[in-house]
Amino acid sequence: MALLQALVDGLLIGGVYAVISLGLTLVFGVMGIVNFAHAQFVMIGMYVAWFAWATLGLDPLLASPLAFAAAFVLAAAIERLMIRRVMRAPPVAQVFLTVGLLIALENVALIVFGSDFRSVRTTYQTAALRLGPLFLSVPYLAAFALSAASAAALWLFLQRTWYGRAMRATAQDRMAAALFGIDPERMYQLAFALGAGLTAFGGAVILPYITVSPSVGGQFVVLMFTVVVLGGLGDVGGALVGGLVAGVIQSVSTVFFPIQLQNLVLFVVFVAVLAFRPQGLLRGVA
Amino acid sequence: MSVPRRSLVPAVLLAVALVAPLFLDARGYPIRVLTFALLFAAMGQAWNIVGGLAAQMSLGHAGFFGIGAYTSTLLLVRTGVSPWVGMIAGAALAALAAVLLSIPTLKLKGHYFALATLAFGEVMRVVAGAWEHFTGGPQGISVPFSPDSLAAFQFKATRPYYYVMLAALVLVSLAFLAVSRGKLGYRLRAIRANQDAAEVVGIGTFRAKLAASVISASLTAALGTCYAQLNYFFDPETVFGLAPISIRVALIAIVGGTGTLWGPFVGAAFLIPAEELTNHYLGAAVAGISQLAYGLLLIVVILIEPRGLVALRIPRLGRRKVEVAP
Amino acid sequence: MAQAPGENVSGARGRRGFLRGLAIVAALPLVTGTARGAEPPPIHVGVIVPLSGANAQFGINSRNGIELVADEINAAGGIKSLGGAKIKLVVADSTSTPTTAATVAQRFITQNEVVAILGAFASSLTIAISEVTERRDIPLLTMSFADQLTERGFKNIFQIVSKGSVLGRAQFDYTLAIAKATGEKIERVAIMYEDTAYGTAQANGLRAAAKAAGVQVVMDEAYPLGITDAAPLINKLRASGAQVAFPVSYLNDSLLIIRAMRQQNLDTPAVGGAAGYVIPDFVKGLGEFAEGVLSISPTNYDNAPEFTERFRKRYGYFMVHEALEHAAAMYCLTQAIEKAASRDPAAIRKALAETNFTTGWAKAMTGGAVKFDGKGLNELAQPVMVQWRGAELVTVWPESLAKGKPVWRKRK
Repeated sequence: MALLQALVDGLLIGGVYAVISLGLTLVFGVMGIVNFAHAQFVMIGMYVAWFAWATLGLDPLLASPLAFAAAFVLAAAIERLMIRRVMRAPPVAQVFLTVGLLIALENVALIVFGSDFRSVRTTYQTAALRLGPLFLSVPYLAAFALSAASAAALWLFLQRTWYGRAMRATAQDRMAAALFGIDPERMYQLAFALGAGLTAFGGAVILPYITVSPSVGGQFVVLMFTVVVLGGLGDVGGALVGGLVAGVIQSVSTVFFPIQLQNLVLFVVFVAVLAFRPQGLLRGVA
Repeated sequence: MSVPRRSLVPAVLLAVALVAPLFLDARGYPIRVLTFALLFAAMGQAWNIVGGLAAQMSLGHAGFFGIGAYTSTLLLVRTGVSPWVGMIAGAALAALAAVLLSIPTLKLKGHYFALATLAFGEVMRVVAGAWEHFTGGPQGISVPFSPDSLAAFQFKATRPYYYVMLAALVLVSLAFLAVSRGKLGYRLRAIRANQDAAEVVGIGTFRAKLAASVISASLTAALGTCYAQLNYFFDPETVFGLAPISIRVALIAIVGGTGTLWGPFVGAAFLIPAEELTNHYLGAAVAGISQLAYGLLLIVVILIEPRGLVALRIPRLGRRKVEVAP
Repeated sequence: MAQAPGENVSGARGRRGFLRGLAIVAALPLVTGTARGAEPPPIHVGVIVPLSGANAQFGINSRNGIELVADEINAAGGIKSLGGAKIKLVVADSTSTPTTAATVAQRFITQNEVVAILGAFASSLTIAISEVTERRDIPLLTMSFADQLTERGFKNIFQIVSKGSVLGRAQFDYTLAIAKATGEKIERVAIMYEDTAYGTAQANGLRAAAKAAGVQVVMDEAYPLGITDAAPLINKLRASGAQVAFPVSYLNDSLLIIRAMRQQNLDTPAVGGAAGYVIPDFVKGLGEFAEGVLSISPTNYDNAPEFTERFRKRYGYFMVHEALEHAAAMYCLTQAIEKAASRDPAAIRKALAETNFTTGWAKAMTGGAVKFDGKGLNELAQPVMVQWRGAELVTVWPESLAKGKPVWRKRK
């Protein structure tokens, strides 16, 4: 019973891990950049949703498109001003730039928003559905549902629209894409902005149960990379599976091991996956 | 013409470095900053053997650093063994850890290797925190107070530590040079240029990378012991942390220029004082502004020269910085 | 953001040190003779607190408390035994890195010539600083909880609050007493704590107290700081059948825990372990669900409203405990300087160790005064149990310090 409950909790929380990591894997898949600053877009999305709640009375779930839009615009600017200039630089330099960006964004937030821990109050955040002996947390369920919807929207975008196809083409072969009249730089910018937007969206939908402060992004940095690697770097479908797997591992491991070690279990699986299936859990399976 | 100057410059630098502390307050602030800059330069140089020569970007060097700090300190606290002996024990343990870590990770390329090593550092941090009755847990561990003594590796003033760290930096740099100019360096360069081609012409890529990794890990662990003795106190986050150690050490090599002898020197001479100066002049103003300035500085540097400061081709200026830091 | 007039002098001092060096070489009388007039030079006090990173808020609260007292002392004429010399605070960000905190301490001592240092909220930072201050014989006043701060035989450290293990023990003992007063006998308890120094130290105290009382600990779980899902904790708590839960957490985890308990209709009373449970953001985040939540706290502002309301008036929120303790520490320091009539850190240290501080902000501490014992621990400090009533914290235990009656809702 405890196992089943842990499994359900893990799946629900994993859905959110998936959506915040989708953005990161998209950025990596298209641009080949490991972006340490990406977790800060969780924080930015949370702040946008918090202010929408505090000033307009908007529920964070409804404000999530706003969070998407704000992060999209901000990220497009960051790409234009900074990331674009290191696209041809060695990978170490790219990582280094994103570390600087990570520090800068956190402290801009500290200066602008102050150090307060901010959280919203909604009617459903202390509610749970009972399914026999199981509890389904309503905020988890809502976050999961919206995450699933946004993942589906991303999938449609990538498969069905010209931009989506152009972006995938750029990811596969920049030169060839350029020959077909696709502007790769524009695609990179779009991918970066879209990735940031998705992650910020994920930040907004978790606001009903997580408190926002300038340093909240730090809680997600390592987790997001884990999810992305479990799914295979750059694999959008894989990130979904990776998110669910990470959530389930964290949750189920607590049934057998001390909760303190939940991340240890996750990292061990992470290294094992890297060693034996560096292409990710999915790729090459089906 | 350039040959005599090449050997002259390091000699002059070393002489300046040896004499400089005599003009500084032995227990003062500038010498402390310099001492940490030397330590971090040495750490960057040790990282450089793997991150620069083998081009394997490790983000888990804190794992080795912490092994060194914990091994010597636990031995000292529990059995009274001198930190110098503990340093060797820590280096040996780190070498073993590097071998074990290499089995699943060394064949990984680029970002995959970086992320796997990152996970290794985090695993070590969690273990050090959770294994409380052995490591002291999250509350950290203190180096027991002892009077001035070289044998006990403990001094009241900072000046002796300065010389220890300077010696460490010189030794690690010599190790870097030895690796770089020896057979191993030749192999590593071949691998860096083209791993598959290197394999084809019969270079044992795994063994070459493993050797580099082991050397780098044990040197890093030895520096972990130095850190513990210099700072007297640490907790799992301080020595195994991603931001305070793993990323910072990589940054020092990267900002200076990876794979070059002078890269870590320039990187440490730039970053450590930069951290201090932003904290010094902005730390008391609005909360967060000194860290923001530091972050922006990183961004600006990389946008100006993504290959590292060494590539700016003003070596004389870059090198002299090592000595004139505040 | 109110800034003390004496702030941000660090840069100026650094330069002044250099200039003075030049002046000695050139012409000393020229410099000393001019401008200064009769007013004695200010006394520098170092303040090292986290102003960035995860603990920034607590660092800012601490700084606010210290500034308040420094301004009050200066407005009242400064240190009279030193000719009315003013207190000048030298503030710096400790960041989250102990090494940086220690380096800042070194800088303050040699560049700014501080006579004492206050800080640094987080125990790991304070310990690192104490290694520097001890070797330089500079008094360090702190409200960090860690037991080892005053257990290493250091002579220059002054811990104004109860140690972490004492807080943990009080959290346990007070809870049992409160439950007993309402007719419930506690036999099974749950302990959950975030796995940094603060949580671990306090959990040790809880565990020891449970053992001493012969109470069964049916759940004893550490969890990683920055946990994003409290469901595993609450699932275990539900299964454990504990009559009371002792969560020791920062803010985000405390909200996660309380909300997850509500979701599962788990009415086990939760008695918090200070930190996240005793700051205004707790009630802002939980609203009505905060009502009646108990927590241990090293001090509480309702103990001396005549002092702490001055803080609320200036900064707009109630005087959180770290601000109160830092204010008291600052006050004791100024009184020690007054008594020592000297800028010599050794003389100030001696005065700190020997004086029984019974006036001013020292009265706002739970003991009604501050007295440091041979180890530097404030022997009069006594934790209190507080309970949320609306947006305020009311001291409810021990009875001698209580400002209201505890409300105990036992598990059904």
